[in-house]
Amino acid sequence: MNDKQKDLFQKFAALASLFGLTIVFAFVSDAFLTVGNGMTVALQVTSIAYLGIGATCVIITGGIDLSVGAILALSGVVSALAVKAGAPVPAGMLAGVLVGALCGVVNGVAVTWLRLPPFIATLGMMLVARGVALQITDAKAIGSLGDSFAEIGNGSLWRVATVGADGFPDVSFPGIPYPVLLMVLLAVAVAVMLNRTTLGRHLYAIGSNSEAARLSGVNVRGVTLFAYVLSGTLAGLTGCVLASRLVTAQPSEGLMYELDAIAAAVIGGTSLSGGVGTISGTVIGAFVIGILRNGLNMGGVSAFTQQIVIGMVILLTVWIDQMRHRR
Amino acid sequence: MLVKWPYQTSDMREPATASPLLALTGITKRFLGVTALNGVSFELRRGEVHALCGENGAGKSTLMKILSGQLQPDAGEIVYKGAPVRFASTPQAQAAGVAMIHQELNLVPHLSVAENIFLAREPRRGPFIDRRRLHAESRRCLDRLGVDIAPQAIVRTLSVAQRQMVEIAKALSIDAEVLIMDEPTSSLTESETELLFKVIAELRRAGVALVYISHRLDEMARIVDRVTVLRDGRHVSTGDFAASSVDEVVERMVGRALEDKFPPPTRVPSSEVLLSVRGLARRGVFEDVGFELRRGEILGFAGLMGAGRTEVARAVFGADLPDTGTVRLGGEALQIRSPRDAIRHGIAYLSEDRKGHGLALNMTVAHNVSLANMAGVANALGFIRFEREASVAQRYIDSLAIRTPSTRQAVRLLSGGNQQKVVIAKWLFRDSRVLFFDEPTRGIDVGAKYAIYKLLDELAAQGIGVVLISSELPEILGMTDRVAVFHAGRLRTVLDTRHTDQEEVMQHASGLAATETP
Repeated sequence: MNDKQKDLFQKFAALASLFGLTIVFAFVSDAFLTVGNGMTVALQVTSIAYLGIGATCVIITGGIDLSVGAILALSGVVSALAVKAGAPVPAGMLAGVLVGALCGVVNGVAVTWLRLPPFIATLGMMLVARGVALQITDAKAIGSLGDSFAEIGNGSLWRVATVGADGFPDVSFPGIPYPVLLMVLLAVAVAVMLNRTTLGRHLYAIGSNSEAARLSGVNVRGVTLFAYVLSGTLAGLTGCVLASRLVTAQPSEGLMYELDAIAAAVIGGTSLSGGVGTISGTVIGAFVIGILRNGLNMGGVSAFTQQIVIGMVILLTVWIDQMRHRR
Repeated sequence: MLVKWPYQTSDMREPATASPLLALTGITKRFLGVTALNGVSFELRRGEVHALCGENGAGKSTLMKILSGQLQPDAGEIVYKGAPVRFASTPQAQAAGVAMIHQELNLVPHLSVAENIFLAREPRRGPFIDRRRLHAESRRCLDRLGVDIAPQAIVRTLSVAQRQMVEIAKALSIDAEVLIMDEPTSSLTESETELLFKVIAELRRAGVALVYISHRLDEMARIVDRVTVLRDGRHVSTGDFAASSVDEVVERMVGRALEDKFPPPTRVPSSEVLLSVRGLARRGVFEDVGFELRRGEILGFAGLMGAGRTEVARAVFGADLPDTGTVRLGGEALQIRSPRDAIRHGIAYLSEDRKGHGLALNMTVAHNVSLANMAGVANALGFIRFEREASVAQRYIDSLAIRTPSTRQAVRLLSGGNQQKVVIAKWLFRDSRVLFFDEPTRGIDVGAKYAIYKLLDELAAQGIGVVLISSELPEILGMTDRVAVFHAGRLRTVLDTRHTDQEEVMQHASGLAATETP
């Protein structure tokens, strides 16, 4: 098997488990396999997917980003505060995304120029960003943000509905939620970047052997910095979309999301030692986690048990991956 | 002190006992459809040094990995001490007395010598490590080798040669009866090699059977009793080394007669100075180095290990920044702050450490070839044109005869020599005006060496300035136009290759000759 085939095998294995889960849950609950629930799952998966896409790029360089959950919260409250202060919604959201990008720059600089281990640099950022988010909000949620703030998180494309006689809308097709659309666009764009561009190739080269990459003329610092900025920016975007979906910004939002993001990447075949990983794998990984949560919820399994199951799934997938590589 | 060894010295050679200690018969091993070994037989007697020769990819390493329990054969039989065995793992082979010392040494750098020797077999008193016994027994193993290394020394602080001695001590500590050495001298200096040979002779006298894998056929004559030659995964011959000349062994390895070691030069060095380096220094590493490289010439960098040859090349290339000094290329003063700058100006450096610094091992052949020149396979927007990338890689696979099933093979799966060719291909694809080749033929078989020499000459003939850094003096003398000799961080002299010999170069390299201003 060459690497291309291995890659396919890995994806197929993840994809197969995805189908397996879907079939099992479809038997457990009648409501599981419906268009409505499909959209719900897709919507729930978006956060993990955005963060996972960023995490994949960072992990490919051989790094890790633990700060995305906290950055997400900070970005969410910043955009909400900006809107509350009178800024138009797009400007407020842009501010949130930029805050995320800025946190990514700090992470990247700490890793490349200050040469801090990525684990430590982003652990520091995790605490700082969370602290700032709590501080500027007095640890209180920011609500009543208005309909236009809710649009990007709750609106959808091609929604077909007619207002019925009782005054309630009669939805014949729920449409494609904007967050899902955004997920597809992001996934395609980053996958193209990784596979087809020089920048993507350099990310893989750095993760595979950073010294060889440097001696081959790769701008190791610049490219590594890019990975952290991308991850931070996507975290900022996630924060805004999530705040919009809930029409509330919480400074405690996104707790442990960084671990979901890393788990999605790892389930999708990204190697924590760097140099290996795909966006398609990560998206599948995000869906595996999302469907597990959703299905277990519908099956009436408690949140505690869900954690146990997801933890075991991560261990199992990575173990299978290791076994395959050892052969 | 160098070369012209007496072909053999009698004290090192006593007849080995005739009954085989170990016999491998009909060993076959396939990797994903590629047959690495095809019915190979190999026999080892007590108290002999048995050389295993073959080109890169001939199957030497695979055979030894099977013998030492790292790989399982698909077919064949191993008879050890008269009974058939199958080693399922390295520890199992070690327990039976079969140990292998790898080219890349397998020591834990942060632990002490004694802790490494007895790693996972620490002598204990109750639940605790018995430090006194640990050190005493390590001392005993090291003494047997006659080397002066403290058991408490941290492995990280030792030289490569000392680490190798630690590996041998480790093998002794498990009472190895079969010891396999893979390229043991490839990174040793002359005097360290000398010490190793003494140790080998000692082990041989003690009845240990040694398998010796090396590309340095010249040095084998001194220690080897018998030689087995493999080619393309098949057994070619086994016989007394003394009865066959080095040339015969080489012929059997490559499967044809080899006329010359070095190709006739086709280059005509011009008098035009291409690269000029003045007053280059890195504190504590090298001082006041200045030299000129002309268009179309091959300039040799000679010197002992640690003389500063590699360090100077890396400083010119921007891999390590010098404290002072100027670099001019074609008359223009350059500010080089990183390898990226150097490459942009047309200076390339091919590292001596191909796994550590040369290759992205998990990436494919094609991806490695294009890594230093992505613009050459991408469009203006940075999108890679895959067909172009594949065809470029294929071109170099053909022209350098790289043995790989496809352009999409991961480089880590290639043999050492073929990996080296991939690194060379990478720099060839990046058109450069100055090329530093640091030990380009290390660990490479004879046939491939010749191809690389020819390539160096062709590059110079195209008007490129080539710097050849090498520890092998015959290579320096056979391939260069001028040779810069380094000693202890200084460039001692630049000699005209036609009017010098090994002795003169060695005198300068060892600091014996009076310094001349280059």
